[in-house]
Amino acid sequence: MSELTWEHLRDLDCGAIRTLGDTWKAYVEQQLAHTERLRTEVIEGHLSAEHFESDTATQVREQIGMTADRYEDDLSDYASTRIATTLFEVADAFEKEQNELKELVPLIEQHDFEIEGPRSEYDVNLSGDLHQAILTLNPPQWLCDMCGVQKPDGFWDLDTIKVLFNGVDLYGTAIGLAGQYQDWLRAVMSRAHDADDEAAAALSEMRENPTELPPRLGATYDDLVDDYKEGVTEEVAGEAKAIAEGTSGMSPEQVNQWWEGLSESERQALIEEHPEWVGPVDGIPTESRDTANRTLLDNDIDRLGTQIAAKEQALQGMDPESEEYEQAKEELDGLKGDRDDLANLQDRITNDDGTPALAEGPEPKQPYYLLGFGTQDSGRAIVSVGNPDTADNVNTLVPGTTSNLTDVDGLINRAETMQSDAQLAAPGASNATVMWLGYDAPDTIVPEAMQERWADGASNDLERFTKGLDATGQPNTNHTLTGHSYGTTVIGHAASQDGVNADNIVFVASPGVGTDTASALGVDEDNVWSTTNSLDPIQLSPDFLHGANPAGEDFGGNTFHSDTGAWNANNHSTYWDDTNMAGRETLADIATGQR
Amino acid sequence: MDNPPEPRYTQAEAYAPMEAAAADAVTALPDFPGFKERIWTEMPATSGGIDVPGFTIVEITYVFSLPDSGTPLVRETYVDVLREHWSSLGYTIFRDAVKEKPDRTDRSLVATRPDGISLWYWVSGYTVLRVQSGPVTASDHEAIEHVPPTGGVRPGGRFDKVGKYFPDGIPADGAVDPFDSPDSYEDVL
Repeated sequence: MSELTWEHLRDLDCGAIRTLGDTWKAYVEQQLAHTERLRTEVIEGHLSAEHFESDTATQVREQIGMTADRYEDDLSDYASTRIATTLFEVADAFEKEQNELKELVPLIEQHDFEIEGPRSEYDVNLSGDLHQAILTLNPPQWLCDMCGVQKPDGFWDLDTIKVLFNGVDLYGTAIGLAGQYQDWLRAVMSRAHDADDEAAAALSEMRENPTELPPRLGATYDDLVDDYKEGVTEEVAGEAKAIAEGTSGMSPEQVNQWWEGLSESERQALIEEHPEWVGPVDGIPTESRDTANRTLLDNDIDRLGTQIAAKEQALQGMDPESEEYEQAKEELDGLKGDRDDLANLQDRITNDDGTPALAEGPEPKQPYYLLGFGTQDSGRAIVSVGNPDTADNVNTLVPGTTSNLTDVDGLINRAETMQSDAQLAAPGASNATVMWLGYDAPDTIVPEAMQERWADGASNDLERFTKGLDATGQPNTNHTLTGHSYGTTVIGHAASQDGVNADNIVFVASPGVGTDTASALGVDEDNVWSTTNSLDPIQLSPDFLHGANPAGEDFGGNTFHSDTGAWNANNHSTYWDDTNMAGRETLADIATGQR
Repeated sequence: MDNPPEPRYTQAEAYAPMEAAAADAVTALPDFPGFKERIWTEMPATSGGIDVPGFTIVEITYVFSLPDSGTPLVRETYVDVLREHWSSLGYTIFRDAVKEKPDRTDRSLVATRPDGISLWYWVSGYTVLRVQSGPVTASDHEAIEHVPPTGGVRPGGRFDKVGKYFPDGIPADGAVDPFDSPDSYEDVL
């Protein structure tokens, strides 16, 4: 776990880390020149078949070639992808958080607050001087301004009495502001620790898995070289497996570099032979993931069909009154439910002839891309309307409570509506909308949606997903993260704890996002947007559940208007209904960079 | 889980009055250039923050071509015409907004009918007429009948985007095509 303190981060020379990354990059370039010389001057030059023709010479040429290949692979995989990219990524991450600290720490000091507590859980408290100032009716000017009172200039004058009677507000206001700074500081350090830990994982994983070298020339060479060649082929598979299982320590950007470094035939082989190592992996391009996931979907539906047939046959031999039968029947129903859910998803995104279906929307019609799915818990589905790798604007929708695979049609419909609205608002741009049900959403409002664990469980996955979109997308893509209801809580937790790649964050009908201030989200506060209609009961959510309502005055960021539905309807989910065109228009404008 | 208020239509029943509402709007528009495309889509109907199985919201979108979307006739005059027309029919205008942007002015006019159907004329990058059902009980796709498009969109053509409801093909025979228009206006603009 990262031992970084806020003082370390404040004083860190991020430029030095970046320079080190540059040095490694330059080193790679230098060394590649050497392997090039080995090939051209030795293998094809002095030691070429023209000058030396014998079995031994052939072996030597082959051995030198393999050593050069290995060296180049290691330079690419380790010196470049692992070391240099890790250094660049961690330098960028530290610098981003350092810049926030440079803004935040002076604010804390100016307001006479103090940072206390262990590095894992910093507190921002009122200093003794500030306590005393409030208690002696001599509050600082900033606090008077915040409370809307004049700073007393003498004892027991009217202003002093007014301040006295507003004493609770003075304390409450000061503590509230300290709490916001505390949220901000904790979020900054949480993201910095996350970046530190991820960098450490990437580097330590490299150290723990040294690569094989070609066998030495000699009597055993012939026996060993075939094993070596097979090992090189298996190495790619081993890397892919480790990446898919999350044990490689590689970031989505590093995964993307690794993928791009494979040969076309290696990539194709992985997609065809091991789609399970390709489909779910953030950092692999969307087209490849989609192809792999569609294969996995076919396979899973077939597998479930086989299991269902076997279970039905087994049931025939059981006593219908027995407990065993009841249990087997329950398992059968579960299998059938999973099969139907997956078949429904497949129907939605696939034409009758098996080709990927196009969403019904304005020209140009957009294909569906399957970026992930699963039947565990309430199910998972990540479906994009349009290709996020080529889009100018990518909006990722995180749905909320009770979202599940069974009702995925409706969720895709909503994403399709958002994509359509964006396309109509910005015809000159390409627009993709992703429906990200990549987490186990709460099944109930009470008690599950009142708990943070669903959001915490989703946080790291959403972080990696957004960073994967960044790695595979265009350099200047405008990324928006839109949450609805508990989906906003998921986004808030991910943004403040792990960090997300987003230019804009939109909270629709939020019960709270795990922090009391937009500053803690790691996104320019001007690009944080919230909306809650006036009849939505979600605004009654108490702050102690998920933090302050982001549409509230003190949260920061921006709010935008959403119209209500009928006064007697439940207005928590009318945001995409035919009663809230104002909200839909604004959502489209934000997602297309027009706000 | 609560259901939404009892809807007036089933999904299958909703298309005809919604299409009639679109056709009625078209008749009010002078020098009408024709729509480029029609799209049938759905959104989840919700209650209490939860998507309610068995209910849906139908949205029918008619889109002007990009060149037509940019004309003063379509961006300004039609807003005024529709405001007057829908008001004269007793519909409630509940949104009438103008939004200035750096390179264009967007407009939004929304009217609701007593039967719960909404009409949304949205002048944005494209200009569209949208008709929305409000929550209706979902129907099997087999129960949904093809209603010919209005406003010059060719029934069953490339821009009649209702295909997912008619996987065996859209019944073009006998369909009314008041403007006898081509699949696309792009060639003639």
